[in-house]
Amino acid sequence: MLAKEGLLGHLNVTRFSHRFQVITMPTFVRFRLLLLLLPLALIGLIITGMSGCRGGGDVIHLRYWNGFTGPDGRTMLQMVRRFNEENPDVRVTMQRMAWNTYYNKLFVAGLGGRAPEVFVLQTDAFVRFMQADFLRPLNDKIMGENGIDMSDFDPNVIDTVYHNGNYYAVPLDAYILGMYYNRDLFRQAGIVDEHGDPAPPTNREEFLHATRKITELGQTDIGNIWGFVFTFFRYNLAGIMSQFGGSLFSEDGTRTLINSPENVEALEFAVSLIQEHRVAPNPEAIDSWIGFRQGRVGLVFDGIYMLPDLQRQGDLDFGAAPIPQLGPEPGTWMGSHNICLRADLDEETAEAAWRFARFLSDNSLDWAEGGQVPVRRSLRDTERFNNMYAQREFARQLEIGQYLPSNPFVFEYFTELDLALERALRGRMTPQAALDLAAANIQEIMRRYGIIPSDEADGET
Amino acid sequence: MSNQTPLPEPQEQLPAVGPTARGVENYRGNARRRIIRRYSGYLFLAPYLVLFFSFLILPLIYGFWLSLVDYEMLSPEPPGFVGLDNYSEAMDDPYFWQAMKATGLYVGMAVPLGIGLALLMAVLIDSLPQKRQGFYRLMIFMPTMITITVAGLVWRWFYHSEFGLFNAMLERFDIWVPWLTDTTWAMRSIVLMSVWWTIGVPLVILMAGLKQIPVSYYEAAAIDGATGYRRFLYITFPLLRPILLFVVVLSIIGSFQVFGQTFIITEGGPELATRVIMHYIYDTAFNFYRMGYGAAMSWILFAVIIVFSLLQFRIFRER
Repeated sequence: MLAKEGLLGHLNVTRFSHRFQVITMPTFVRFRLLLLLLPLALIGLIITGMSGCRGGGDVIHLRYWNGFTGPDGRTMLQMVRRFNEENPDVRVTMQRMAWNTYYNKLFVAGLGGRAPEVFVLQTDAFVRFMQADFLRPLNDKIMGENGIDMSDFDPNVIDTVYHNGNYYAVPLDAYILGMYYNRDLFRQAGIVDEHGDPAPPTNREEFLHATRKITELGQTDIGNIWGFVFTFFRYNLAGIMSQFGGSLFSEDGTRTLINSPENVEALEFAVSLIQEHRVAPNPEAIDSWIGFRQGRVGLVFDGIYMLPDLQRQGDLDFGAAPIPQLGPEPGTWMGSHNICLRADLDEETAEAAWRFARFLSDNSLDWAEGGQVPVRRSLRDTERFNNMYAQREFARQLEIGQYLPSNPFVFEYFTELDLALERALRGRMTPQAALDLAAANIQEIMRRYGIIPSDEADGET
Repeated sequence: MSNQTPLPEPQEQLPAVGPTARGVENYRGNARRRIIRRYSGYLFLAPYLVLFFSFLILPLIYGFWLSLVDYEMLSPEPPGFVGLDNYSEAMDDPYFWQAMKATGLYVGMAVPLGIGLALLMAVLIDSLPQKRQGFYRLMIFMPTMITITVAGLVWRWFYHSEFGLFNAMLERFDIWVPWLTDTTWAMRSIVLMSVWWTIGVPLVILMAGLKQIPVSYYEAAAIDGATGYRRFLYITFPLLRPILLFVVVLSIIGSFQVFGQTFIITEGGPELATRVIMHYIYDTAFNFYRMGYGAAMSWILFAVIIVFSLLQFRIFRER
């Protein structure tokens, strides 16, 4: 807009005669002045506004950052408010930003020494921040008088925050990949149990049967009905691969196993759903979830965090269940939000921050209400949790849930993984070729990170 | 301002002869005034210059230094000087070329289409009665005011080939378009959305330009019996040329830096077909934390934009 006004001003002056100039210039200048003063006034307002926010006295101020920009953010905000009410000596202010830009902001803030006192890290990003010395080891707090009994947590969950004899975070939840199914479509396709209730599939045969039957329901006025649809390739396939016994890296983390026979087989099965069984439409990386909400998809695999979306919709009769076992062993994908403290907190602030972290963990049933699974067994064994239908169903998979490996180059290997899955599912490459290519590229990345010595011969399998 | 007739400089009143007391004082006063006159402009510019230097020039220099070092934020080793290695890595990086190709495709489609449409609409709206012009201008400008996140999220649903709005509407005519699922179509879809989203700015500027063309020229042309097309070709177009240059340059620079649309709508997919150079730079620098390499690619992009802008100026000046 500024450029536009500037240009117009220009034209006035250059094009009109001398006589005109006398008339236009003063208004023009005044306008410019106004434009100049406006931002200054704004800046002034912001500064005074900011200083007004600061609490006075002996209140410890904690900044708390996370990526809960969806409905989960409202739940979290309520918890923060409650904490502030119950702890008048601490004031937590929460800041939310979208996950896809959250980490680089957090990282840059950390480099500049301005990281928030408390922040949330997803398991994917955890190791990266830990290795960059961003996180405060929490052993003293956990073992301290206001501690938490770590045996209350599920072992596979707590493992992800335990490194070199130290706990670096308190896991808040587990967002597990589960199955949502459309109960209406199940009934229409006659996939019901003896009581006439929709029967969600539990194994490969039932899965193929159900998806085929539903796909055969055919057309609606807005398009085809499909038995299944891939929503987010990475997590969908991470779940399926875990059932075929696949993993992405070797135990010691020095070699990628992305093109292992197990992973190839899992991906071949996924591709067959589109190309051979024809129970899923051509894959589209984004927004296929909408198809389920439109009532045109029989079942999808997605995270528990999608639950609020369905609950708000109201007119969709959906069910929730663990994902069926499609490979030789049970398994699914999951991730966690972990509450972390900044590494260089003074003792007093650290105590307050710990109190807050503990509060969130202790009250994670409130958090679960908004579409999450708590990772403290004592909380899951309550009446209240048992009444949360979808959360309870998804939580049945907690023991078999597997995280995607977290390492310093996590986002780089994600790029390669996503690309390989896309190429295979779209039928542009065979699963073997796509995963081989990804493996070669990931080896290259690991070489750059010095994980594989650069003089070592190519480790392609 | 260059075309403006310079106002006559006020003559300085210097003492005629001899260092009389009064003369010296006068002289001093004049010197002070002269200094004030010479530098007071900078004082007014200062707020902007401070921002300009601290947020543009300094980062630019820092960015150039970054492009010459091997700065990986996660690496325990301090950044080491690697000369032009980052630049030569780009030359051998298939992802870089893929991103450049995607960007080129976008610029090649979005700029002519966007400017062409904007010009057409500007001329059409300009021919309407004055009263109604504001309404149409506002309507077309409106999408520009929507943030890309909102617009992008809505359009990516519009575009969904299986569950989206467009294909649901097109189904009546038995048309099915692989909006975002096909590697060739994806970029076209992005361009289409971008034109809708960005057309307001060139339109408003071009309309302002049209308003500056004296009506008397058209009246004279009409008397001479010139048709609408000829009037456009021989009056509107030549007189609009400086504005057109401005708009084209602006549009090219903006198009090379396209980011929001692809970042939100396709996230670079399918199969990286729409991962443009800005997106790749962003990934490299802020997700992979390879600052040096990211900076080097930014400088390459900068060089490309400069070359294109200079070319524009050349072409438009020569005609």
